[in-house]
Amino acid sequence: MSLGNYGRARLRSALTTAGVAIGTALVVLLIALATGAEENVRRSIFSIGDLRLVTVQPFQPGANGLSAVPRTITDDTVAKLKVVAHVDGVYRQFDAPLGMVVEGGDDATIRPQGIEPGAPVDRGDLLAGRHLEAGDRAVAVIPGNIARLVAPNAGAAIGRTVTMRVGGAVKLGSTRIGGSGTPRDYGVKIVGVFDEQASQTSFRIPLEDALLAGAENRGLTADAIRQTTGYSGLAVEADDSTNVADIVRAVQELGFSSFSLKQVVEQIDQGFGVFKGILAGIGGVALLVAAIGIANTMVMSVLERTREIGIMKAVGASPRDIRALFLAEAAYVGVFGGILGLALGLAGGQIIDRIIRQLNPRTNPAAIFVVGPDLALGALALALGIALLAGFLPARRAMRMSALSALRYE
Amino acid sequence: MNAPLAVEALDLERTYASGHTTVAALAGVTLAIQRGEFVAVMGPSGSGKSTLLNVVAGLERPTGGTVRVDGEDLARLDEEALARHRSRRVGMVFQAFNLLPRLHVVENVALPLAFAGVSVSERLRRARAILERLGMTARAEHRTNQLSGGELQRAAVARALIGDPAILLADEPTGNLDSANGAALIALFEELHAQSQTVLLVTHDAQIAAHAERIIRMRDGRVVDV
Repeated sequence: MSLGNYGRARLRSALTTAGVAIGTALVVLLIALATGAEENVRRSIFSIGDLRLVTVQPFQPGANGLSAVPRTITDDTVAKLKVVAHVDGVYRQFDAPLGMVVEGGDDATIRPQGIEPGAPVDRGDLLAGRHLEAGDRAVAVIPGNIARLVAPNAGAAIGRTVTMRVGGAVKLGSTRIGGSGTPRDYGVKIVGVFDEQASQTSFRIPLEDALLAGAENRGLTADAIRQTTGYSGLAVEADDSTNVADIVRAVQELGFSSFSLKQVVEQIDQGFGVFKGILAGIGGVALLVAAIGIANTMVMSVLERTREIGIMKAVGASPRDIRALFLAEAAYVGVFGGILGLALGLAGGQIIDRIIRQLNPRTNPAAIFVVGPDLALGALALALGIALLAGFLPARRAMRMSALSALRYE
Repeated sequence: MNAPLAVEALDLERTYASGHTTVAALAGVTLAIQRGEFVAVMGPSGSGKSTLLNVVAGLERPTGGTVRVDGEDLARLDEEALARHRSRRVGMVFQAFNLLPRLHVVENVALPLAFAGVSVSERLRRARAILERLGMTARAEHRTNQLSGGELQRAAVARALIGDPAILLADEPTGNLDSANGAALIALFEELHAQSQTVLLVTHDAQIAAHAERIIRMRDGRVVDV
């Protein structure tokens, strides 16, 4: 019956519905925009690395640029971290001084990175050969660009021995700078070649080799380096990314600074939460205006149909029946407006997306507007909820009307 | 125990506050109407006859005394129950017809059942049956603005009867009809009465009232002659 009335006051219902539709469309568009941006940022972060990883840095917590206070990472630190809950593995890393490789009449600056077998940095990016293994000495896993100095391709470089010069002058870009200590040459056998997208300078070598090279560069023993200089960093792997925060806390309690992508992601999520809230608020204002429109339409409708309400009450409509009738009318406006608004928002997003791509063909190929099922359902629920809220007072007014005075109303 | 009376009023009062004074529309009405009776309530305007009808219909609550309709004490009913009383125990015919112009005649007749939880197909079936009984089948699918006054009031009577009420109430039902249509409506009431329908009719027209079995006369909110 209320549907009949919806059809009767067609123009008014259409205008009210349009108000709800525009409000809903705006909410959908703005949140879709924020969601699209957030997904984009997250996707590029996931491509950088593993969210389960916490890097321990040789500084006190809160390390920040120049103010960083050094702290020594020793085997004692490693032992303490290994027993922290949710820690799956702790990998030590020691960076020997910068050096050079001279091959085939060309030279390249390298960063000898001493790591343990299975370290997160040395996983799944091989072009040829293998990763480092336990018991390896005097070997290296090197980037593809340097492998091609040694041999025609990555595969041919495997098994070749190159001379790795640690310390002394190095080349940074096209300028030569004095490096640390006296240069010393080490012969290393290439066992693996990795995709240079990860790094064009890193030489992955056994931790012991790097410690020895670092010690000899400064005229010390490897044990002295372990105890006084300490490791360059630790890669701590959590059993699950949800437990990263616990590990970060443990690292800080041990007195070390840490870095984890997971925390960066969380900060970004927080930022986007605020961003989304603001955008939703702007859309919400539009919906609020629509709600006032609904309330106004309903008040008019109740006034106009006072006599009708009186008749219905006289022939047996209970107060609840009357209220349900008017709430149903508001609900139709909400549902139709919501569906229309959702469609409008989806279509609008597509059109804007297309226009942006036409104006700038180099736009990131990822979707600019992202409407998930929760946003779609949420928008519909919001439209319906606001409509019911707006219809509540007029419906109550109709419900409380006295049948007799309503019958006398002209 | 006998079946309950159709209407039983005891010292019924209804007062209205009007500024600082109160006006008593009903000032202690006591009466009884048997089942199957055709009773007319007569009196000048302001005598309280319409108020009496509205109280029996459950459209208005008395401020004193008790009223039972078909054995039910109306004072004990809350708003929801009073709505059910209006849809099932009584059927009301108004002077102004009070049909909904946006509905077809058959939908208007079926309206009370919509609030009694009867399915659409069942209530339309019953509405058509009752329209047939009143000789209105040809008008069932018309809009109310296509009907004459006499037809409108017949449709209103059909609506009042659809809930099979214990008592049919009519408030000046001939007031908006010409004399021919008015006479036809009264003939319909007599016919319904002959089928043992209880009828309570309010009128100020002595000729109309003369068709009833019994006349209750009111003045100043009191029954002056039963």
